[in-house]
Amino acid sequence: MKTFSVSHKTAFVVDHCPYMGESCRQLIECDMLTKSRAQGVIPLAPVSKSLWTCAIECSMEYCRILFDIYPTKKLVNYIVSDSEVHILNNWKQEHQNTHELMAALATVGPPNPRQDPECCSVLHGLVAAVESLCKITEYQHEARTSLMDVADRVANRGRIICLTNAKSDTHVRMLEDCVLETIQEQNKLAAGSDRLMPIQQCELVLVHIFPQGDDTLVSDRPKKELTSLLTSEVHSVRAGRYLASKLNVLVQQHFDLASTTITNIPMKKEEQHANTSANYDVELLHHRDAHIEFIKSGDLHMAGSTSRDSGLKETVTLKWCTPRTNSVELHYCTGAYRISPVDVNSRPSSCLTNFLLNGRSVLLEQPRKSGSKVISHMLSSHGGEIFLHVLNSTRSTLEDPPSISEGCGGRVTDYRITDFGEFMRENRLTPFPDETVDTLGRTPIERAKYQLERHTRYWPMIISQTTIFNMQAVVPLANLIVKDTLTDEDVLTCQKTVYNLVDMERKSDPLPISTVGSRGKGPKRDEQYRIMWNELETLVKTHVGNSERHQRVLECITACRSKPPEEEERKKRGRKREDKEEKEKEKNGKDSEEKSWTADAKPRGGWDVTDTAQNKMVYKHRPQMTEFLNQKNELSDIVSEPYRALGPVLYFSARSPRIPARNKHAENHFSATQMSHLHKALVACHCKDPNGVSAHEASFFSR
Amino acid sequence: MPTVVLMDSSLSMTRPVSVEGSEEFQRKNLAVHGLTMLFEHMATNYRLEFTSLVAFSSLWELLVPFTRDYNTLQEALNNLEDYDKTCLEAALQGVSNVVQQEWGTSCPCQVVLVTDGAMGIGRGSLRHSLQTLKQRTDDKKFPLPFPFPSKLFVMCIANAEEFQASDGLDNLELLISLNGGDGQIYTMEGPLCLKSVQAMFGKLIDQAYSPLHAVLRCGNLASDVQVFPRPEPVLIDEEVDPIPKTVQTDLEIVGFIEIGDISSPPVLSRHLVLPIAVNKEGDEMGTGTTDETEEEPSTNQMAGKSPNFCVLLHGSLKVEGMVALVQLGPDWFGMLYSQADSKKKSNLMMSLFELGSEPLPWLGRMTQLGPASDAAENPYGEDDSKSPFPIQPKHKRSYAQNVTVWIKASGLQTDVQKIFRNARKLPEKTQTFYKELNRLRKAALAFGFWELLKSVAELLERECTLLPDSAHPDAAFQLSHAAQQLKLASTGDSKYAAFEHNITPMLTDFSGGGAERM
Repeated sequence: MKTFSVSHKTAFVVDHCPYMGESCRQLIECDMLTKSRAQGVIPLAPVSKSLWTCAIECSMEYCRILFDIYPTKKLVNYIVSDSEVHILNNWKQEHQNTHELMAALATVGPPNPRQDPECCSVLHGLVAAVESLCKITEYQHEARTSLMDVADRVANRGRIICLTNAKSDTHVRMLEDCVLETIQEQNKLAAGSDRLMPIQQCELVLVHIFPQGDDTLVSDRPKKELTSLLTSEVHSVRAGRYLASKLNVLVQQHFDLASTTITNIPMKKEEQHANTSANYDVELLHHRDAHIEFIKSGDLHMAGSTSRDSGLKETVTLKWCTPRTNSVELHYCTGAYRISPVDVNSRPSSCLTNFLLNGRSVLLEQPRKSGSKVISHMLSSHGGEIFLHVLNSTRSTLEDPPSISEGCGGRVTDYRITDFGEFMRENRLTPFPDETVDTLGRTPIERAKYQLERHTRYWPMIISQTTIFNMQAVVPLANLIVKDTLTDEDVLTCQKTVYNLVDMERKSDPLPISTVGSRGKGPKRDEQYRIMWNELETLVKTHVGNSERHQRVLECITACRSKPPEEEERKKRGRKREDKEEKEKEKNGKDSEEKSWTADAKPRGGWDVTDTAQNKMVYKHRPQMTEFLNQKNELSDIVSEPYRALGPVLYFSARSPRIPARNKHAENHFSATQMSHLHKALVACHCKDPNGVSAHEASFFSR
Repeated sequence: MPTVVLMDSSLSMTRPVSVEGSEEFQRKNLAVHGLTMLFEHMATNYRLEFTSLVAFSSLWELLVPFTRDYNTLQEALNNLEDYDKTCLEAALQGVSNVVQQEWGTSCPCQVVLVTDGAMGIGRGSLRHSLQTLKQRTDDKKFPLPFPFPSKLFVMCIANAEEFQASDGLDNLELLISLNGGDGQIYTMEGPLCLKSVQAMFGKLIDQAYSPLHAVLRCGNLASDVQVFPRPEPVLIDEEVDPIPKTVQTDLEIVGFIEIGDISSPPVLSRHLVLPIAVNKEGDEMGTGTTDETEEEPSTNQMAGKSPNFCVLLHGSLKVEGMVALVQLGPDWFGMLYSQADSKKKSNLMMSLFELGSEPLPWLGRMTQLGPASDAAENPYGEDDSKSPFPIQPKHKRSYAQNVTVWIKASGLQTDVQKIFRNARKLPEKTQTFYKELNRLRKAALAFGFWELLKSVAELLERECTLLPDSAHPDAAFQLSHAAQQLKLASTGDSKYAAFEHNITPMLTDFSGGGAERM
């Protein structure tokens, strides 16, 4: 669990002296075609890699596996040494890829046999590696700056892997001494610098490479602590495939990797046998924690592990399992680890990886001699990276929990499930990778939270608690009002919605008022509209603070909402009694103080919120509205026509289909003429407004 | 987190405790009294916890396998018999087996050892076990540390003064540190009596069995919830950031993501999120589960009937196939989703992601996730056919980019063969021929394998001389052109051996349309 362990920085030092140009003496036949054609052609002599080529391709393979499994925070600095030092990259994350290293290696080329061997040495590279380990990486820098007061917790450790051809054990000791001296020197330098850090621990891995058939002049030596700063180990390896498997073992040791072999992969045979299929095995490397369950329970062997390749490494065998899984299933997954195929270019490997990269997942089961099958892992790709997922295969401690329907709120049956589903779709997240903060200094996630806050300022949870959200006619306004900013066009749409409601009221269209809990038919029509208008006002009021345009929408509602005058008196008389009844109803489990619910942060039911001050305001506006209604007699005929067909749509069932959000704006089309009539009427009515609140509105309409 | 109660039923537990003026108690009675209190607490406030009871002396016995039936546990406790001497090592091995058989090795467990602190003498005693710790063979390893993550609590039916003369307490402390250090030793304060045993078990309850109460928020919508099991503190990097992080009690939803997009993420742990009714005084009214015994039915019924945000959220998550991302603390996130068990009962579940700003590579940095409506173009497409996830990494992995590896001879041979397979189909395969040729050239240059370039050039030249009469005249031109270019590259001359340089097809009278034909 240490970020800055020895594995944070790896310096490769590859010897580029003339002797590395020597052949490794393992011959490869390239001339494969002569067998089938043209007798009498003399086959070409086989080729042989140089020690240098072997060292390069094995170290590249080490890096390939490393970068596949750790795309960040495990850094490589590649150094080539002859008469001088060639540093092929630096610790920067952007330079951590094999393509760049290969390009740099191409410019270095194979060792130059004409170079003076006396001037050439791997020592230059080792010194450069120590210097490089002292250089701070971007991760160390970041951690140090974020931990100012305890910056000394950020450690500086590293590893040097030196691929060379040493002369003798004495030569090896000389190299070790040199590294140790350089560390001590560099640490003194680093102590006085901001961009350098003293090395606290260094692991030197010397790999002596010698050609096939030669006797080694250097003996193997396990890891040994030379001082508290430096440990050293020596591996004496023949070039070619021996070196490859040595570095494969080392990369596993250095980065806590383990191997899994996927067995029984059904795969079509190549070309000539296209119709038959055979089962193949593919070996993958990954972090060893993917095997943690096997390791801990001690049944690594039971799980089908076998020793392979000279007994150096173990692999756990897991069986390809059909049927496959689908992506909409949420598996209980306790870990996901990036993989790298051991034999990346082989046909079985590339078949498996391409299959996964195409978006399919494979479940893997433990091969058992008997008993039930245990699915323990899953291979799946995410964005072009393949992960080995560890699935939980033991009994869950959460089994048989009480169902949600047995708990709090579990007996309520009219939740606005579909509406909340739509709310969730509207509040889906998306990455803003290039944007840390917006103009107001908010991170994307803060904006997401703010949007949720806005969208939930008034959000009744059950159908019987709301009228307006059960009315299709309110949808355009309800969708717009939650926005942070409104355009003039948005305001217009909201106003149209209000006018439409006014028109519905005039025609006494029935409203989807809940009759739950009340005896008889429920409230009278005009009472229904009073409830509806109150609720609409409650919704809009929670947003008036957003902008002046939001304020305009509220003004429009307060101006337009009304009841016929002859009913007003009766209303006033009846009000007291009704309020009492409502309060009675409310006492059960609801705070009677809900009118101040915005501060309460728990909106439960808004429509019965009736602030007296608010009502006074409504009545104040009423005489003007009467005039407005009188004036609009002629226009109401024009306006209402398209709506008669629509009518208020009742949504009492959570299952009933709703018009998706994207279509909602398409409703309420007033023609230009209709609108001009409407706003003339409004202007007329607003001009008489003693407060002059709607002056701007009038000017907007007359544009 | 399942619990194993490991009860000492050796003879020393029957030692009497002198209590003034009342009937005589044995230490065992005090232990049973304490455990009864623990079981009662769990039955009321922690009822989903699985508990098992193991009794031990020189032998051990699983009295009650893991259960949520606290009556059974209580009954077994009441019928506990007395046996011989204390031999803890075998009992711990027993606990290890019992837990692994039931839960495997990844499920964290709590072990509550109840003892009088007299851990035996001679062979089989704790002292003996600890002294021989280093002389074990692989098949006789000491059972600690347990293979599963665990906390070890030791409840001593004895007070600290009794331990002063012996090394008993030190040995018990060593036991806990052997197990990784998680856990605690409790001793009784003051005289051994019912009151002090209650106080001691009260401390254990506070530390290990108090449920996490939190508020789940989504903007202005909120619900009081109990999170079960209690999430454990998590450590990111013991060196750079050594303070364990705990889940905050304000669980704030930040937005929603499709199940397909979040795609079976790895999680640290899973927890049930149970809505609870909290009345004005802040007392809990129970989790609202159908519990006939201790709650008045009216309170529960009322809690069931008033709308709760958890139920709404759960219903919509289930219907829409989505998850809610929830913030658990600074730089710590989790997800809420609907989880159905085999009996079709479903529930709101919360999984905790790994601590850090980027727990899931395919979602990117968590703080960079914002509302989709802020994007210039709807990232989900107008008809929900697209998705902004998964995020593509900057560099492709080796298996996704056709890398060249020649470690095995067969790898190299396949690549050479590919060139010649295409060479024989010139000029139709001109493009693929040069693609394979350039791939080989690049790798050979990087590996400093100029000899290979020369060999392949020679092979191409020979191929040219072996062309049948029927061959297209362009084939000969392209083969010799390719051979010549490889030879030039094999000299290492920077003019011809540049890594990024590609050999392009020779323009001939025949091949005028060569490129277009492809």
